[in-house]
Amino acid sequence: MIEPFTVPFMGRALAELALLALICGPVSVFVFARRLSFVSDALTHTVFPGVVIGFLAGGIEGIVVGALVAGILTAVVLTLFSRGGALSDDASTAVVLTAMFSIGVVLVSRRSSYTSDLTSFLFGRILTVTPRQIAETAVLAVVILGLLLISARALIFRTFDPAGAAAAGFRTAWLDLLLNIIVALVVVAAVRAVGTILVVALLIVPAATARMLTTRLSLMAMIGTGLTLVAAYGGLLASWTASVDYGISLTSASAVVLLLVLAYLLLLPLGALRARRNHGRIASNARRSPHELVG
Amino acid sequence: MDGVAVADATLRYAQVSVGYHGTPVLTDVNLDLTPGQRLALIGPNGAGKSTLIKSILGLVPVLAGTSTVLGRTPSQARALIGYVPQTDSLDADFPVTAGQVVMMGRYRRIGWWRPTRSADRRRVHEALDRLGLADHARTHFGVLSGGQRQRVLLARAIAAEPRLLLLDEPFNGVDAVSQEAILSVLRDLSAVGTTLVLSTHDLTVARELADTVCVLNGRQWAVGPPDETVTADTLRRAYGGHAIELRDGRTVLVEP
Repeated sequence: MIEPFTVPFMGRALAELALLALICGPVSVFVFARRLSFVSDALTHTVFPGVVIGFLAGGIEGIVVGALVAGILTAVVLTLFSRGGALSDDASTAVVLTAMFSIGVVLVSRRSSYTSDLTSFLFGRILTVTPRQIAETAVLAVVILGLLLISARALIFRTFDPAGAAAAGFRTAWLDLLLNIIVALVVVAAVRAVGTILVVALLIVPAATARMLTTRLSLMAMIGTGLTLVAAYGGLLASWTASVDYGISLTSASAVVLLLVLAYLLLLPLGALRARRNHGRIASNARRSPHELVG
Repeated sequence: MDGVAVADATLRYAQVSVGYHGTPVLTDVNLDLTPGQRLALIGPNGAGKSTLIKSILGLVPVLAGTSTVLGRTPSQARALIGYVPQTDSLDADFPVTAGQVVMMGRYRRIGWWRPTRSADRRRVHEALDRLGLADHARTHFGVLSGGQRQRVLLARAIAAEPRLLLLDEPFNGVDAVSQEAILSVLRDLSAVGTTLVLSTHDLTVARELADTVCVLNGRQWAVGPPDETVTADTLRRAYGGHAIELRDGRTVLVEP
């Protein structure tokens, strides 16, 4: 079970995914709590052209820079949009995102290695991760976890009670921008390994799954990281076994994401049970106060 | 105590207009509150009660007139003000316990990342205990009843040790037990010098708790002791003809 990971490229793939698991656990908790799935989705559309432009300008090393610029720009624009209430306009937002995505496709299609480039941008190249890439991911992980550690308390307050947090003197606009930037940095960190499409799964599924097991935020983050780690190990092992022992080609990153989603589906009944039990507790609390008026 | 006249003013609004994007929601507000005073804001939906409360926090701009809160501008005074929002503005599914919610009242003092200290935890426990919720510190906020949630939010405001406490509709959807608990704590706070400003639909509660009532609807229609302000005449003018006076002298509002 460990043997495949003694092969250097498999060991590097696991190390890269372990770093991503470390950041995706806590970050996904905030994506889940703030209902930022849309932001994650938007980022994958806008980071893609950034990745393509970065690659065309500076090769493999340019990808991170391109992704970083596009990601931060998107975080700023989304923060401004959501404060102006413009994000409710679904159609125009969708048009802009699709246009961004198309620009990426048009740019990449001008190259002769069009298909293979497109595939690697969309789904990543986890098996060709270099030591340098791992080092870069580690630096990003430190930055992301550092930002989260400093701002977690304020972010939690703002998420739970925006009016109360503002009244207590927290600048909610800056907190919103900060969280959007943190999410953008995760996308940047993950884009080469798992691609712009699959990173959405890493930002949403860990916390959504952990939520079914616990209601504590810190535990949710840890369980999210743990689940992603297990999915990373299992997915890599499955794709190795499939191709080495059975000659079936199974994309590693997709296998990882599939396992993560599988864990989510398996735990769904447990989450439903938990919700039912909580409902029962609300009902019994209400019974204790017979004069309750539902406002 | 130095400079009694100045130090004594908790809140001073003179000819104040407040609103969004340069458009006033509420005009002609004149208030002068001293420590321990209990002000109730009454008026129909959309009268500007919440807007006035948010202007005291500096979250809605003052468009005209002069406003001082605890001797400074509203946003500078924020650290000394406690705020109890309407419970339905909160995300009830959010995974926090009652104790964690009350701890949020200490966040300003603790700072962004310093760990909580035993003094903070003691304050949180005391605040929960005052509102009869000491046993619920570890209970998930979302499973509490509406009245219990409201008590948790008041406990959070108390934990911040404010000199001025603002409450937005604190009795909406609150059961009788919780209402009594909240009223009693508010009276105690007022007795030790905390100034209270609360908005309410409930004229009985306003009269029972407040020593001053401010009648609002787009502008300030009246301010003063309940007996002089909660009158059929004033209410009819402010609410637009939906107030009637009962034979025992009390005034009630009726829908058209």
